Amino acid sequence: MSAVARSEQPPLARPNGWWGMAIFVATEATLFGTIIGTYFYLRFNNLHWPPPGVPEPKLTLPLLLTGILVATSVPMQFAASAAAKGRLSAARAALLLAVVVQAGYLGMQLHLFVHDVHEFPPSGSAYSSAYFTMLGGHDLHVGLGILLNLWLLLRTSTGLTTYRMNAIRATTFYWHFINILALCVVGTQISPRA
Amino acid sequence: MATTVTEPALRRIGRLERIWAEPRGVLGWLTTTDHKRIGLLYLFTSLAFFGAGGIEALLMRTQLSEPNAKVLSPETYDQLMTMHGVTMIFLFVIPMTTGAFGNYLVPLMIGARDMAFPRMNALSYWLFLASGLFMYASVFMHSAPNAGWFDYVPLALKEFNPGHNIDFYALGLIFNGIASTATAINLIVTTFKLRAPGMSMNRMPLFCFAILAVSLSLIFALPSLTIDLVFLELQRNLGFHFFDVANGGDPLLWQHLFWLFGHPEVYIIILPAFGIATSIIPTFSKRKMIAFPLVALAELLVAFIGFGVWAHHMFATGLSTITLVFFSAASMMVVIPSTIQVFAWTVTVALGRPEFKAPLLFIGAFITFFVLGGLTGIMFAAIPFDQATTDTYFVVAHFHFIIFGAAVFPILGGFFYWFPKVTGRMYHEGAAVVAFWLTALGTALTFFPMHILGLLGMPRRVYTYPSSLGWGAYNLSETIGAFILTAGLLLIVGNLVWSRFRGVTAPPDPWHGGTLEWATSSPPPPYNFPVIPVVRSAYPNWDREDREADAGRLERGELVLDEGHETSTTTVVDAVPAEVVEMPGESLWPLVVALCTGLLFVMLLTRHYAVAGIFAALTLLAVGAWHLKEPEEL
Repeated sequence: MSAVARSEQPPLARPNGWWGMAIFVATEATLFGTIIGTYFYLRFNNLHWPPPGVPEPKLTLPLLLTGILVATSVPMQFAASAAAKGRLSAARAALLLAVVVQAGYLGMQLHLFVHDVHEFPPSGSAYSSAYFTMLGGHDLHVGLGILLNLWLLLRTSTGLTTYRMNAIRATTFYWHFINILALCVVGTQISPRA
Repeated sequence: MATTVTEPALRRIGRLERIWAEPRGVLGWLTTTDHKRIGLLYLFTSLAFFGAGGIEALLMRTQLSEPNAKVLSPETYDQLMTMHGVTMIFLFVIPMTTGAFGNYLVPLMIGARDMAFPRMNALSYWLFLASGLFMYASVFMHSAPNAGWFDYVPLALKEFNPGHNIDFYALGLIFNGIASTATAINLIVTTFKLRAPGMSMNRMPLFCFAILAVSLSLIFALPSLTIDLVFLELQRNLGFHFFDVANGGDPLLWQHLFWLFGHPEVYIIILPAFGIATSIIPTFSKRKMIAFPLVALAELLVAFIGFGVWAHHMFATGLSTITLVFFSAASMMVVIPSTIQVFAWTVTVALGRPEFKAPLLFIGAFITFFVLGGLTGIMFAAIPFDQATTDTYFVVAHFHFIIFGAAVFPILGGFFYWFPKVTGRMYHEGAAVVAFWLTALGTALTFFPMHILGLLGMPRRVYTYPSSLGWGAYNLSETIGAFILTAGLLLIVGNLVWSRFRGVTAPPDPWHGGTLEWATSSPPPPYNFPVIPVVRSAYPNWDREDREADAGRLERGELVLDEGHETSTTTVVDAVPAEVVEMPGESLWPLVVALCTGLLFVMLLTRHYAVAGIFAALTLLAVGAWHLKEPEEL
């Protein structure tokens, strides 16, 4: 986070900010592990999952959207390595591309979320409670990631510092995590179809 | 340190003094990022909560001192019992051990100038303070949490508990968890990255290993509590269904998630005690800990096994036999790393030349209580015994021997041990020994009769009992014990307050300790060390040549880092010097962020969700404003 390299040699160890993000991601992963664990705990406690009257989860659109979100790991990684080489405008362009796609994803997700809430509200059953908590939790994390990317774009408009370079690196790490999480979440979401 | 301090060395020290100086007065405390000042803030705040939790305990003991007493109403008793548990665990032990001891000592022990993320450290403290005040506001509104610290559903659901009581509990603990998570991340990165050059993992002090194990446990345990509380709030206030059978939920889900956090939590409470014991024992036995690597691994192993034993809190809930057997066996396994440590502590004392000053006396009582509480712990791992005694006072006896006798006695010993370092004064040894005997005997008298009461069948969590059962005498002796214990604790406070102002001046290293905090002055300067020490063993302060080499480096200006607000980082395993990093300095933003977060939680409690959204946005804006000032621009 606060690393300022004094020498010309590449640093021997990853910056403190990277480690901070890695441990934060570890606790977040546990959080989602608990939510997904709860989903299956409740599933195996119920005879009908989803319960009668609740439609089976859709397959195509969630998988397609997840694929698009996961693809943003590529421009994010590109932004991190471009920033490490000091190529500021390339890094900013990659960040911008990523954040546009991510915002589009979040918009679609929220639209589907609201649609589903009208169809089978969370107060209807344990199934819908677990379903909306899991999806809402993930959307919240995507939203946070978008805010981080917008912040990086804002801050790098006045140039690149080691501090900002480390921030891009840590945020990229966070996005890889969000994207892996998206796969776990969508897998759980469509699991009743399996 | 140096016997003769020359002109260039003095000039360098002068520069460090100017670079690391913080504003004076109240503003200095509100904006501080110095780990020592934040540690002291944690110390005094958690002591205040300890006082509150202690008063709650005394009120309960007074109510229970005789059959059919009318000191407290059942409703008040429930609230006091719940707040006592919540306070002692979340507002006293965790902030005291990680926040006060961890914060103050870890950077000193590893030869760093601050924590890895100094401003986040300040944020942790302000969030913790705000979460504590948030929860204690409930006491003044007569709607304190009232379903026990474990808060079982369905009792905690809206149908049976319609007031704000449980919302204070759930939101308060989510809030508190954010602070603990931030502290844990900070402590892990600090022990990984900021160790002095040469302090490879196998040379890191055992106290730091214990704090590392605690922090890792917090990182992986707190999420399941947080999620459990989120589920509870969603069910209570937005009509979700997680815990009611009628809609496909399951009340046991609460217990699984709670104890998946709750059992690691027990080790989170006890591990810092191990760490303090492994600091005090070598110093007063005048020898290194025996089996150093085994003790380090045992500390980490206790934390790890703690994640696989949660269902032993649920032996009486009707789980399948195979589940019970698995968790029984896993619980027995905890004996192995615990015994390794008890063996190492006692044999280190036996092989050394022990000097039984107050800190070591407290550790002696700690080992005794830990063995007693540990033995009853093994009994609970046996399923039939647990099913017969669950929800009786036998359980209360067991866990108070562990989380009071074993967890708090090293904290008290640690107060005396590090008092000279923190204040630059010596405490009064005679009064400390008297206080030791009062607290130790008080503890035994308070908690030992609970075993007997439990075997006689007295249930936990009852506010009174009929006289015909013959439990009065045991209960009265417990109450007397509690007041003796309180007298001992007050004598400790009195001793330390008096010594702070009237004690004899303490030298930098009054005990000839082996770890690096004793290598600097008492109290340490804001920059901790005039020169970053270079380390070649696990007890670097006993390597005289190395410390003289440090003084030589100060003369020559190597590793002094007097060009900025800096510390050095090293590689994670071998502690090879990696780079010099600029540390952020004082900032008011952590306090502002904590304030906005606090108001966010107040709005969630009062269900003004739109206003809560505004405070969430303000929190994010404050976080942004905080990061506008980058360390290299300071």
